[in-house]
Amino acid sequence: MTSSPAAPFVADKVTKTYPGHTVFDALDLEIPAGHVIGLLGRNGAGKTTLLHLAAGLTLPTGGSCRTLGRPTVDLDTPELNRLGLVQQEGRFIEWMTVTQHLDFSASFYSRWDRDLQQRLIKTLELPVDRKIAQLSTGDRQKVGILLGVCHRPALLLLDEPMSSLDPLARAGMLDFLLELLREDGTTVVISSHILGDVEKIIDWVVFLDTGRAVENAPFDVLQESFAEWTVTAAAGGLPDTFSEPFVLARQGNDRLARLRVRTRDPEDRARFAQTHRAEIQSRSLSLDEMFPLLAGHQQEVE
Amino acid sequence: MASVFTIDYHSGVPAYRQLMDQIKFQVAAGMLPAGTEMASTRILSAELSLNPMTISKAYSLLEREGVLERRRGQTLMVRAATPAEVETNKLDPLRQHLAAAAVMARQLKISREQSLKLFRETFDSPSS
Repeated sequence: MTSSPAAPFVADKVTKTYPGHTVFDALDLEIPAGHVIGLLGRNGAGKTTLLHLAAGLTLPTGGSCRTLGRPTVDLDTPELNRLGLVQQEGRFIEWMTVTQHLDFSASFYSRWDRDLQQRLIKTLELPVDRKIAQLSTGDRQKVGILLGVCHRPALLLLDEPMSSLDPLARAGMLDFLLELLREDGTTVVISSHILGDVEKIIDWVVFLDTGRAVENAPFDVLQESFAEWTVTAAAGGLPDTFSEPFVLARQGNDRLARLRVRTRDPEDRARFAQTHRAEIQSRSLSLDEMFPLLAGHQQEVE
Repeated sequence: MASVFTIDYHSGVPAYRQLMDQIKFQVAAGMLPAGTEMASTRILSAELSLNPMTISKAYSLLEREGVLERRRGQTLMVRAATPAEVETNKLDPLRQHLAAAAVMARQLKISREQSLKLFRETFDSPSS
């Protein structure tokens, strides 16, 4: 694997405002090279804006962004050749057939990989002789993917790239992203709400919440920091509230409670069990279950 | 090398951890005898559709734990364990399962004697 130690994207005190609306206020973020990074967050958290900033499609109102080592305001052919962007709804030249469009786009790149193009057409079962205007939503999305990846970018930005793909096409796509990482050491940043897909391939998480990067960490570290505890009272009853700071959410009653906790320190657990005279069963949380906790959205006590 | 690993991505247990546990289990159970060459990170990544970072993390932790070792340059293989290590490798996964079972027994107020009896019966009953 070839991976450059330099961060392929850096946001330095980035502010991005639209009339009457601030998306980012002094955002600092550095994305590590050679990882598959899940860019996660609720609607409106700024995921698409961040990808657009990284691709240079929009410029920061304040602060600066560097992509592939260069300020995004100065991105030029050498960087754009190494940058891929797949948008949820790409803009295409509608009257062209798929083949014509691919040929047209390929002509802009020195490193366009024809073999890869052919392989993806086959994997994704793309009808190449049809005009873009006549394609289904899913097939349009596949065209967007091909246009974003066939020049084998060093940094690949994907904004909900699979929302309209069927499960088979999505599986093929996920395999392909891992292949890019294996073969080229490509840094892949993927924003998606299909968390069950994302958790299969990512090894890093950037979580945005109200314009802040609240997490920028290896996925397994996050997985190992959250848990659900099923707590039962060994003697007497459980208290109405738990004051331990690592308890994020609680459901249940005074005999059995299910807690969402953020700690994997065995001492925390032992002390908790002792303090409340409780038995604890612990299990890991899936990304779906972690999501509300990361978004600071805590389930109410019932 | 005939080894099969399955990763449950939705379980929340990190994939590297699942892979480590399965390799350790297969080593302890004799399915991966000492000297067995492990598939390269690349090949296993393609085979399992698993992030190569995950595999190299699992491999390097297993190397540090002494389950695997690098020999003849780069080949990663199952290390020959001492009898004491073999014992530990076998007992550890079972202990983990039993610890969870013990919590459940206490939660359900099943007595120690009853629990042990149940384990004995379960142990002796075929294919439970």
